[in-house]
Amino acid sequence: MLKKVIYLISALAFAFGLWGFYIRLFIGEKDVNYGSYVVWGLWVAMYLFFAGAAAGSYMIASLEYLFQIPLFKGTGKPALWCALICMPAALTTIAMDLGHWERVWKVYLSPNFLSLLAQMVWGYTLFILIILASFYVILKQPNAWYLKPLFAVGLFLAIFLSGGVGALLGVNASRAYWHIGLLPAQFPFFSLATGLALSMLVMGWFAPPDENRPRLLLSLGYLTIILLLIKTYFLWSDYSQSLYSGIPQNVAAVEEVMFGQYWWAFWIIQIGLGTLIPFIVLIIPQWAKNGIVSGWMGLFVLLGFAAARANIVFPALTIEELGGLAKAFSGPHLSFEYFPSLLEWSIIAGVSGGAALVILFGLERWFFNLPKEVQQ
Amino acid sequence: MATSTNQEDILVRMHRELKAALEKEPSKRKWVMVIDLRKCVGCHACTIACVAENKLAPGVVYRPVLDLEHGTYPNVSRQFIPRPCMQCENPPCVPVCPVHATYINGEGIVEINYEQCIGCRACIVACPYGARTSDFGYTYTQDTPHQTEFIVGQEKADDYERAPSFEYGKTWERSSHHQSPIGNARKCHFCLHRLEKGELPACVTTCIGRATLFGDALDPHSVVAQLISQPNAMRLKEDMGTEPKVYYLI
Repeated sequence: MLKKVIYLISALAFAFGLWGFYIRLFIGEKDVNYGSYVVWGLWVAMYLFFAGAAAGSYMIASLEYLFQIPLFKGTGKPALWCALICMPAALTTIAMDLGHWERVWKVYLSPNFLSLLAQMVWGYTLFILIILASFYVILKQPNAWYLKPLFAVGLFLAIFLSGGVGALLGVNASRAYWHIGLLPAQFPFFSLATGLALSMLVMGWFAPPDENRPRLLLSLGYLTIILLLIKTYFLWSDYSQSLYSGIPQNVAAVEEVMFGQYWWAFWIIQIGLGTLIPFIVLIIPQWAKNGIVSGWMGLFVLLGFAAARANIVFPALTIEELGGLAKAFSGPHLSFEYFPSLLEWSIIAGVSGGAALVILFGLERWFFNLPKEVQQ
Repeated sequence: MATSTNQEDILVRMHRELKAALEKEPSKRKWVMVIDLRKCVGCHACTIACVAENKLAPGVVYRPVLDLEHGTYPNVSRQFIPRPCMQCENPPCVPVCPVHATYINGEGIVEINYEQCIGCRACIVACPYGARTSDFGYTYTQDTPHQTEFIVGQEKADDYERAPSFEYGKTWERSSHHQSPIGNARKCHFCLHRLEKGELPACVTTCIGRATLFGDALDPHSVVAQLISQPNAMRLKEDMGTEPKVYYLI
């Protein structure tokens, strides 16, 4: 029943997304709400989220194939599958954000390697190839000697790319809220937590229940709690430093998150749904071992991290670079206020729905529904 | 009261200095803009001149004028700060571009290669002055009525908007939503296309109070070289190390 509901919701979301893709590709970018002041919006935030989910899923897969931890046996393939699907989801989302997405090939032919964006594009390309190669090896040559070196390279890339995404924002000295050394350092933890949450959802809702699963779900739950604590610590140190420093741009951005137009995304989704509820639930072993509960908690943590990404991207951009800029000139897309438009939600619904459909189909078709002897 | 007819208008002087600077090799001149905030009356003529010169679309602005209020009643004053691109010597917008679409040209002006730009807007994020805007493809006449027997209609009225702009010495049409500069980051370029023809930037010639001055800072006799060495010359956000080439006299 749960699977059918998820299939239905994903299909509806994907269908809604088709409208958005049509508008974006054939009409243009006018119907978005980001602009010249709030330069990056929902699409960039969700690109960070999907890229983090891909990197995090690869990290989870490496627990089985690189570190060979017996407890995580069986999580590797589904996690790798999630990584493989989340990566194109991330790239599709960010491609929609480009004013000239048809020129992406220029990043390959005339790259500026000083640019974090160019580094990311090349890094992601390599990462996708590594994911594909990892898949091929674990399916066709699981005992090959190069399995571990391959996963070691992949894990390094997953960490580097996660940190790189943080650096992509952090290198901008123009945005005091981002320009802290802590930002790139946080992102690999965020990615791992996102990968863990996705694994909890997948293993909790879709993996066939066997004798190992409760112990696995409990471990995933405890790991998630640890990472949620780390995330909260980062958040506290980040916000408290910003508020104590009194730097106007920093203070304004933090206040925007906590008490401004995005207060609900911070307090309700990021803190309440994405942190407090999973913490309270997963700390109780009986609940953490339960597949349905574990899946819900995975979903909540994912929603929390999606909101967290948005709370990193938007608020820094809602602060004027120069006093008086907001009112100096008026016109479309010249506003420091931002809430995603229907077109932006549509694209995100389409990408999320499409990714969910492909992930589910793959899990059912190749990983969880096969007879045991075929799986082995 | 009679004024001296022998005194050369500052605009004429800048024009003469511009011609002399153009005789030099590009690398031996340094274009600088000086804005005298004591003279700016906030008329926005420079903003409008820039929009007209570069055929800027709705939502695209190169030179807004910031209007700041200081003090509390009864001690209140207003300050107007025109804000073009600062043409930084260390521009944060350049290293972040993934495809070398934005770069410093031979005479120190930060240019954008519209046909190379992928529209990622990383440069807009990086600019600490908010000097870049994105062109989302609007026209001022869109959604206006089409021709009827009483009005000329959108087709005739938007003739001006369909006329190409000549930024960076090229011809830029606005015929489809995929065609640059639509989808690109855009910004002030000190009217490079005018400089090449020996003309001052549009904002300079239009300023009613001669508050915006322009010239070659490497010519020690130029008006700008003399002004930027004064103690009342300052630049925006100097602590960021961007070394702007736009100076303000306060």
